[in-house]
Amino acid sequence: MFFHIVLERNMQLHPRYFGRNLRDNLVSKLMKDVEGTCSGRHGFVVAVTGIENIGKGLIRDGTGFVTFPVKYQCVVFRPFKGEILEAVVTMVNKMGFFAEAGPVQIFVSNHLIPDDMEFQSGDMPNYTTSDGSVKIQKDSEVRLKIMGTRVDATEIFCIGTIKDDFLGVINDPATA
Amino acid sequence: MVDHYNKLVKLMARAFYDDLTSKGDNQPKTGRTDNRGIAVVVLDALTRRQWVREEDLAKDLKLHTKQLRRILRFFEEEKIITRDHRRETAKGAKMYSAAVAATADGHPTAREGEEKVKLHTHSYCCLDYAQIYDVVRYRLHRMKHKLKDELEDKNTVQEYVCPTCGKRYNALDALRLISFEDEDFHCESCNGRLEVESDKIASQEAGDGDDNVRRRRREKLKDMLQKMEVQLKPLMDQLSRVKDLPVPEFGSLQAWEARASAAGRAANGDINAADSKMSQMGYNGASIPYSGDTKVVVDFNGTEGKGEGIKSETESTSLKVLPPWMIRSGMVLTKEQRGEVKQETKMDGTSTSITAQHTDDKKSTTEQDDNKSLQDEYIKAYYAALLQQQQELQKKQELLNTTELVDPSSSASGRQVGVKSKRDDAEDDGTEWEETPIGGNGNGGFKVADLNLNVQAEEEPPADEEDEDDIDWEEG
Ligand SMILES: [Zn+2]
Repeated sequence: MFFHIVLERNMQLHPRYFGRNLRDNLVSKLMKDVEGTCSGRHGFVVAVTGIENIGKGLIRDGTGFVTFPVKYQCVVFRPFKGEILEAVVTMVNKMGFFAEAGPVQIFVSNHLIPDDMEFQSGDMPNYTTSDGSVKIQKDSEVRLKIMGTRVDATEIFCIGTIKDDFLGVINDPATA
Repeated sequence: MVDHYNKLVKLMARAFYDDLTSKGDNQPKTGRTDNRGIAVVVLDALTRRQWVREEDLAKDLKLHTKQLRRILRFFEEEKIITRDHRRETAKGAKMYSAAVAATADGHPTAREGEEKVKLHTHSYCCLDYAQIYDVVRYRLHRMKHKLKDELEDKNTVQEYVCPTCGKRYNALDALRLISFEDEDFHCESCNGRLEVESDKIASQEAGDGDDNVRRRRREKLKDMLQKMEVQLKPLMDQLSRVKDLPVPEFGSLQAWEARASAAGRAANGDINAADSKMSQMGYNGASIPYSGDTKVVVDFNGTEGKGEGIKSETESTSLKVLPPWMIRSGMVLTKEQRGEVKQETKMDGTSTSITAQHTDDKKSTTEQDDNKSLQDEYIKAYYAALLQQQQELQKKQELLNTTELVDPSSSASGRQVGVKSKRDDAEDDGTEWEETPIGGNGNGGFKVADLNLNVQAEEEPPADEEDEDDIDWEEG
């Protein structure tokens, strides 16, 4: 799920960036620092959308670096249990398959793949129905449901299922 | 309250440990060696005791010590008893005997005068009620969870197990388990190839996929779940009954001994006997000084309040002493809450036999405590006043403050930050400048370092009035 939230961060800035463009420098550094990162609490920071407030700087002893408390608005993406996502398959093996939904990695174990799909090893390992009409392989797009998340301080990993109504392949690259 | 917990233990014993045998499962069970139910007997016996020496328990139960040990070790692993082992002389053993004699169920086996120099390792055990409560709840939770998950066919997190080292993983670890050599998952510690774990309760009938089998399995599971609800109902009821009760706590073996023997002394008021027991207190012959020992007793009853001491039950219901930092002006407090009659409560708590020397000892220690806490309160009040003063100075300074070093935004109003960034040259002595943001503002010879040493009236900074106010309520 996406959220638009306000976060705060203490930015350290080298003295060489001081001057007329200080604010711009600060903002671009902020974007470089936080976009694409993941915190277990808020999820993946997708984009910084605005600056709420930049506090007064504090010069660090010895280094001359200045720390600014920056409040910024951003879009974050945080997967939840039960959420339905569309994802791209990145790897298939006999244990199941891995998929990505943006920054989130999801693993679907083979017992959460419909029973009528069987694993086919080979050059392009895949899961296929007996009549061959549906195939899951690398780069397939699937719709899946998050069954569990593992949230660490800097990482979120999910497991999912496609064993439910309306889940599974939504676009087969082989036929497209 | 112990009764309720004991009932819980008994129910638990019958629910979970009834068919436990102390022999290994692989041995054939003949009628004679079938000792199922022994675990229940042991647990029941433990509910009637507090700390007990394992040899004594074995004797009481007419069990072989080894057999009992095996059961106790199992219970220790199950986290329902705590054990303590120590090497001790006959002296130490006697001390335990003295403690036992003070408790209701004890067997007064006084072996005075019998001195052995040899050290023996003795093991003691005791039920851990607090942990039992948690263990039972956790067990029930896991049972229900497992059944329900399987019933709804959403044992979603596939488990994997390493056949070589037995380490277990689940699907959430998947990312770390893939290797790039082949398509399998590999063990992190031994690189063995992981296997899919299938320990489903009802998976005995193979042939997945068949609708009939699946339906039958569901029914079986549902049946099991229902049976569990019915059969474990008494246990769950007991759990909820016990929920808000204070947990009987015997403390560690040594603490319990000290307390029990103190209580015993108080009960018969026998000063001489008490003294003679006291002299035996030391383990391994190293005797603990007399006053030190009393202090231990004081502490237990004073701080815990709900110990097994005889009279301390009433203590636990009395009002708690509030720490000084929680007391605000305007609060309606009893003297006890302000901690002013600490002395009396402590005395009551111990209720030991009183010789003149005894009381003197205790008074002096508690008085010291009081003095110390009074000093602490002064220091706290002083800090509070100081903080206020600093804040005022900061405000003043901010008005004067026209030259900000760096001011990237217009809207900022962080007072702290602003002050900090204006770091004055008057900083000389290496004190932390967060603490003393005021330099050269006419604050003379005042230094933070002084605080820790002495809190005297003449040293206090100009903001005396508030200071006085703050202290008043502490004293009144
Ligand atoms: Zn292994």
